[in-house]
Amino acid sequence: MFLNELLLPVLMVTFMLTVGAYVVAVLDRLIAGAFGAPQAGSVWLAPMARGAWLMTQHANATEAPDWQAWRLAPALYLALAAIGLAVVPWSESLVATDLVTSVVLWGSVEALATVVIFLHGWSANALLPLIGGYRYVALGLSYILISMFVLIGVALPAESLQFTQVVASQEALWNVLRQPLGLPLFLIVGLGMTFWGPLNLADSADLAGGTASEISGPPRLVWDVARAAMLVAFSGVAASAFLGGWLGPWLPGPLWMAIKMLAVLLVLLLLGRLLPRIAPERCVTLMWVVLLPLSFLDLVWAGIGALL
Amino acid sequence: MELLTLLFILLLSLGAGLLVQWLPMRHQPMPTYPQRAPFLGGGTPDSHAWSRYHVRYYPMTLLLIAFEMEMMFMYPWAVVFVETGMKAMMEMGMFLAILSVGIVYAWREGVFKWQ
Repeated sequence: MFLNELLLPVLMVTFMLTVGAYVVAVLDRLIAGAFGAPQAGSVWLAPMARGAWLMTQHANATEAPDWQAWRLAPALYLALAAIGLAVVPWSESLVATDLVTSVVLWGSVEALATVVIFLHGWSANALLPLIGGYRYVALGLSYILISMFVLIGVALPAESLQFTQVVASQEALWNVLRQPLGLPLFLIVGLGMTFWGPLNLADSADLAGGTASEISGPPRLVWDVARAAMLVAFSGVAASAFLGGWLGPWLPGPLWMAIKMLAVLLVLLLLGRLLPRIAPERCVTLMWVVLLPLSFLDLVWAGIGALL
Repeated sequence: MELLTLLFILLLSLGAGLLVQWLPMRHQPMPTYPQRAPFLGGGTPDSHAWSRYHVRYYPMTLLLIAFEMEMMFMYPWAVVFVETGMKAMMEMGMFLAILSVGIVYAWREGVFKWQ
């Protein structure tokens, strides 16, 4: 019992966390290379070299930071990513933790991510990180509703808040076709949640790195790995909620899941490289006035579809 | 049991995140005070970062709370939706319509702008 219930889930999550973060780093470098960014050394070794380099670097300190919170925030973000990865189903039975309310749990991960990112920006006691955190809260509070409505939409036909049930309900037709508005809206949420690319308001270059502008060395390593792992967790959730998770012909379920997760990751990373960053004050209006009504529409669509 | 496993995963990943920071930094000397000044693009800090500032989007957060309460009702609603049928659809539709009036009102009041 101990082996099945504790050890295997932990090993699974650890494996996905490390391999996933590495895959994100490699994919992002490959995409950057395809767009003509100069590459130093091998793409496959570069993430590990950077990781090792960060481990040996000196950690920066500001004058009077909130030490506990400053060190805790990257670790907490990593923990949230791990929780997200734990509820992603790889097949009917291959789930780290098959919680009955896993959709609700994922919602709470999204909500707590806002708290952790603000904590990271606030605790450095420097202006640029604080502005990054301040901006992020506006974004985080705007996207969370869109995410929730879209996820409730996939829970309706499943009649359950469990991701394994949500996947099982897509046997006939995947949610990406059944609820066409769902996946695009959810991808926007994903970019917001990991503050990646166009929605990178927390750690953006115009703030010299934002919440991460004062960290270097090991804390930076944990923060970067946690961000990449969160992207993987998000793509796992998106693949199970909209792309039918492990369902698919010929190949075994977990392999299908890996392919779909990679596809979502690729789309997110491509969007991150292609789209310009959006202005935060426009972002709030856009989310509440355009995207939130669209997510209502998605819910109504999903509801009618589930009843028919 | 699932919750226990989740707690285990939470504690382990949190511990790993802290350990990766603590182990290499144990013996590192602190940077000197001039080095520890916040990075302001070369400017000198005139004030503490933790001074009072205006949260421009504060009214938006209040609107969010209304919707967050609605989400609480929505989770159980989603499970019984197909069973209850059109009635559930109408009820939630009315609820959402009332809340949407709130969005329109907030929009008119300029809540989504950072004036």
